[in-house]
Amino acid sequence: MYSLDRALQEKKCGLYYGARVVLPFVGDILKAVIDDDLITDFSPMSEGAYYEKHEKYTEIYFFDHEDILKDVSKYETIKLIVVDDDDDLFDFNHHRKISLNPIDNHKLEIAEISDDVLFIE
Amino acid sequence: MRKFIFYFAVLFLSQMQTSLFASSEGGHALPEPLMVIPFVILLMMIATGPLFYHHFWEHHYPKVAIVLGMVTTFYYIAILGDTVSLMHTLAEYLAFIALLASLFVASGGILIKVDKKSTPMVNVVILFIGAVIANVIGTTGASMLLIRPFIKINRKRIKPYQVVFFIFLVSNIGGALTPIGDPPLFLGFLRGVDFFWFFSNIWHIWLPTVILILAIFYVIDSRNKPEVEDDEEYSGKIEFKGFKNVIFLLIILVSVFIDPAVISWVPSLSPLPFGIREIIMFSIVYFSYKGADQEILKANEFDFEPIKEVAYLFIGIFATMIPALQLIAHEAKVYGEQLNQGIFYWATGLLSGFLDNAPTYLNFLSAEMGKFGLDVNNVADVHTLSIEHPIYLTAISVAAVFFGAMTYIGNGPNFMVKSICERSGIKMPSFFAYWIKYAIPILIPVFILVWLIFFNGG
Repeated sequence: MYSLDRALQEKKCGLYYGARVVLPFVGDILKAVIDDDLITDFSPMSEGAYYEKHEKYTEIYFFDHEDILKDVSKYETIKLIVVDDDDDLFDFNHHRKISLNPIDNHKLEIAEISDDVLFIE
Repeated sequence: MRKFIFYFAVLFLSQMQTSLFASSEGGHALPEPLMVIPFVILLMMIATGPLFYHHFWEHHYPKVAIVLGMVTTFYYIAILGDTVSLMHTLAEYLAFIALLASLFVASGGILIKVDKKSTPMVNVVILFIGAVIANVIGTTGASMLLIRPFIKINRKRIKPYQVVFFIFLVSNIGGALTPIGDPPLFLGFLRGVDFFWFFSNIWHIWLPTVILILAIFYVIDSRNKPEVEDDEEYSGKIEFKGFKNVIFLLIILVSVFIDPAVISWVPSLSPLPFGIREIIMFSIVYFSYKGADQEILKANEFDFEPIKEVAYLFIGIFATMIPALQLIAHEAKVYGEQLNQGIFYWATGLLSGFLDNAPTYLNFLSAEMGKFGLDVNNVADVHTLSIEHPIYLTAISVAAVFFGAMTYIGNGPNFMVKSICERSGIKMPSFFAYWIKYAIPILIPVFILVWLIFFNGG
């Protein structure tokens, strides 16, 4: 299993298929922004998104976005606040801001969000 | 569908000739009051869509706006035989969207970084600067330039009310001093009001209003403490990137005056519903986007969606509000004798909060001119009104600009600011929450004070 840090260091890509995103690490998602949807409710009954942790990966379904590539424009990314599975969820220092940039062949570039980009927790 | 559009176009063109002739012979019949229904439906859907049927609204709002707009368009062509009103509205819409789009795209290529600690006083200064520069680069330009640095400075204690006050002051009220500030004043300028008339007649209302709203903001903001003590060190440095796009902004500002009504040698492209100015502005959309620094566009997460949303929604709003505006203008003329500046202030203001403030302003200007036996289409007459009855013109100018802050749809930049904030992770109030939690309790008492002090006579 990759940690978030290792995935970032090794520039490991995630995957996307339609509305499904697969991340190469295991962690909790606290907040997501895709297009102009701000999602904080990830319960199975929610309308925005749902995520599930697996042994080696985390997957997210964005219910309102049937084709992520179409909905995320050239200079935009999907923004997430995540906490690595090994870290303490309740320690704000472990809340990491990452961006997911859909590229070709269903790949998602994962990067830490730079200070220039606005993303408020 | 193509066949339908073809028939629609043929019908439009054949009626255009007839109605141009008819209008020269004394105008058209008034629309049925029932024809305001598409407008009411559109407003209700804008208000309720994002709340109650988000998924449908996200995917279908362009179709909803266009279909409702087409209902009104069809009524004007097929039933009233009035294409003049449609062409006027189309021209106003193109001028509106050209200005908004060019300012949006040009300012999207500019990055301002301010490394300063957020305090209530810093915020007050930014909002005041925003209100002032709204008169130089328009409320749209000022909003697009400053909203990101404003959020960034406040990132450790950002709350929706801070953005709402930004919309109040920078996106609306600030721009009341020059014709560049807000579109209704620009229409007044094109009709014959002197460029500096607005400053000399409005500054004494603008300044106390801005100070009062800033004072309310200061009190609220002083109670907003960050959850964790901010011990970060700040350099106080201000960084500015994207100078090229500042030049584009300047070109937009100059092009605002490239109009046959302002400069006599500027050719009119009539009967086309746009002029040289709109061509320049749309060219700037293209060139400022193509020439922008990729890193800045990435940092600003530049996306056409906010302007696309405004373009679609407002094409529906512009089309469906034609009957509402004509009925209002008619009633205002009928009862013109009984209307004083206070009534003009409230009527223009309350309607500007929900309709676009530019055509609302023009209709009430027309009603005021009618009251004094003057003609809104005569530049000398408009000038006369501004000199002999300035209080009337001041009332509608102040109201049209100030009340644009009452709702998200009151003025173009309101929606754009909301969209940028949501993309930055800030949960913004819904249409109703904005209205009930902020606009009514904060703005209405301020606007009542403005009315009591400045427009309660006569």
